[in-house]
Amino acid sequence: MSFLGYERPDGQVGLRNHVGVISVMDNCNPVTRAVANAVEGALPVTTLFVRGQLGRDLDIAYDTLAGLARNPNIAAIVLIGLEPVTTEEVASRIRSCGKPLEIVNIQLVGGTIEATALGVRHAARLMREASRQKRTNQPLTKLTIGVECGGSDTTSGLASNPSIGFAADQVVAGGGKVVISETSEFFGAEHLFAERAETEAVGQQFLDAVLGFEEEVMARGLDLRGANPSKDNIRGGLTTIEEKALGAMSKAGTSPLVGVLKYGEAPMKAGLHFMATPAPAVESLTGLAAGGCQLILFSTGVGNPIGSVVATTLKVSGNRNTVATFSDNIDFDVSDVIENGSPIREAGGRLFDFTLEVASGALTSSEVLDVRETAISRFEPSM
Amino acid sequence: MTRAIVLHPNDNVATLIDEAAKGVSAELRGERTGAVELRADIPYGHKCAVIALSSGDDILKYGQVIGRATADIAIGDHVHTHNVEALRARGDR
Repeated sequence: MSFLGYERPDGQVGLRNHVGVISVMDNCNPVTRAVANAVEGALPVTTLFVRGQLGRDLDIAYDTLAGLARNPNIAAIVLIGLEPVTTEEVASRIRSCGKPLEIVNIQLVGGTIEATALGVRHAARLMREASRQKRTNQPLTKLTIGVECGGSDTTSGLASNPSIGFAADQVVAGGGKVVISETSEFFGAEHLFAERAETEAVGQQFLDAVLGFEEEVMARGLDLRGANPSKDNIRGGLTTIEEKALGAMSKAGTSPLVGVLKYGEAPMKAGLHFMATPAPAVESLTGLAAGGCQLILFSTGVGNPIGSVVATTLKVSGNRNTVATFSDNIDFDVSDVIENGSPIREAGGRLFDFTLEVASGALTSSEVLDVRETAISRFEPSM
Repeated sequence: MTRAIVLHPNDNVATLIDEAAKGVSAELRGERTGAVELRADIPYGHKCAVIALSSGDDILKYGQVIGRATADIAIGDHVHTHNVEALRARGDR
């Protein structure tokens, strides 16, 4: 099993070959968007906040922006900052990946028009250079996929999540990496997932992440009902977070859990990992992409259109109604699992084949329609 | 035909994979056979009870606890947020 990808200087492999135009903070977004709009193949990676964030939150912001830049789907980077000190905080976290990096600081070059002009020149040159690269044959060991669900319903647990799980198992069997996220979506299933940990320490780390987060919710007197499952999950037949979690877990397939990651952290060894992220899709996708996932298999029941800007997002649904009425945003239909009782290995096998096709360059709905967004999680107030 | 899937032998609910009207008979698939007469209109993807439950009983799906009954539930009743509560992340209690 192999796919075709773009080799990067650090040995990672891109499934796409974009110039990433990346904001250091929210006040840079207009320049970032203008530059990306002006250059074919450039992606705008915008962010909110950063300026005035504190402590752990600020580290997460810098690390996640740098992680998005290091993602191998990005061939080269134009970093759009306001002033050099903060910009360097992000740049210094990027340089080790060895990819071309250009920096534009809006204050130093004389405002948005000058910054846009300089950014466009950089991005245009980097894009022309990147386009000379050719895809080469690559083993599955070079593949890191994220598994995500959004707009879930009861069909997610019956069809699309287990099909994604089957594909995830094939990636792990080939020596690749798989990352499942969304901490609160393990409430009620964590005991089963922890049993699958490679070592007791990893199992405990996973339980600490999930149960620690639940304790936080409880300590604040919050009731998860009404937030998760969401109103659309409930319309789709999901009654409780426990029911949702038991269905969501099947996205991870059946391989042992080998590692627990912080938000946006990259897995270092082959196999299945858990990343602690909030449940909403954009925050979770952003964490997965910052952690180096080149591709995300995204299961939806009642329909969630969004994808990651940096990581190619492939939508899978097993709900016959959604496949018919939400088809513009669905890439892969596994409704035959429910309708005709097709075995998961058959639907999952087809999905795995299609995943490698997408890895090798076939575009997804989220890419073609540009239904993509970035949001870095924050946990604290700003100053 | 109205079909409902039971995922585990211990489950006391089935998931409807066809939209169902009150009074129809849902044919059970998966880990249980037979049929259940539905006591309510039940939307696609929602659950019905396949065993009679009392208020306070565990609701079992995938062979696991997915919540607790907040009312008595008869065979064929719609099982959802109106008669089931989650037990996890409940800082309100």
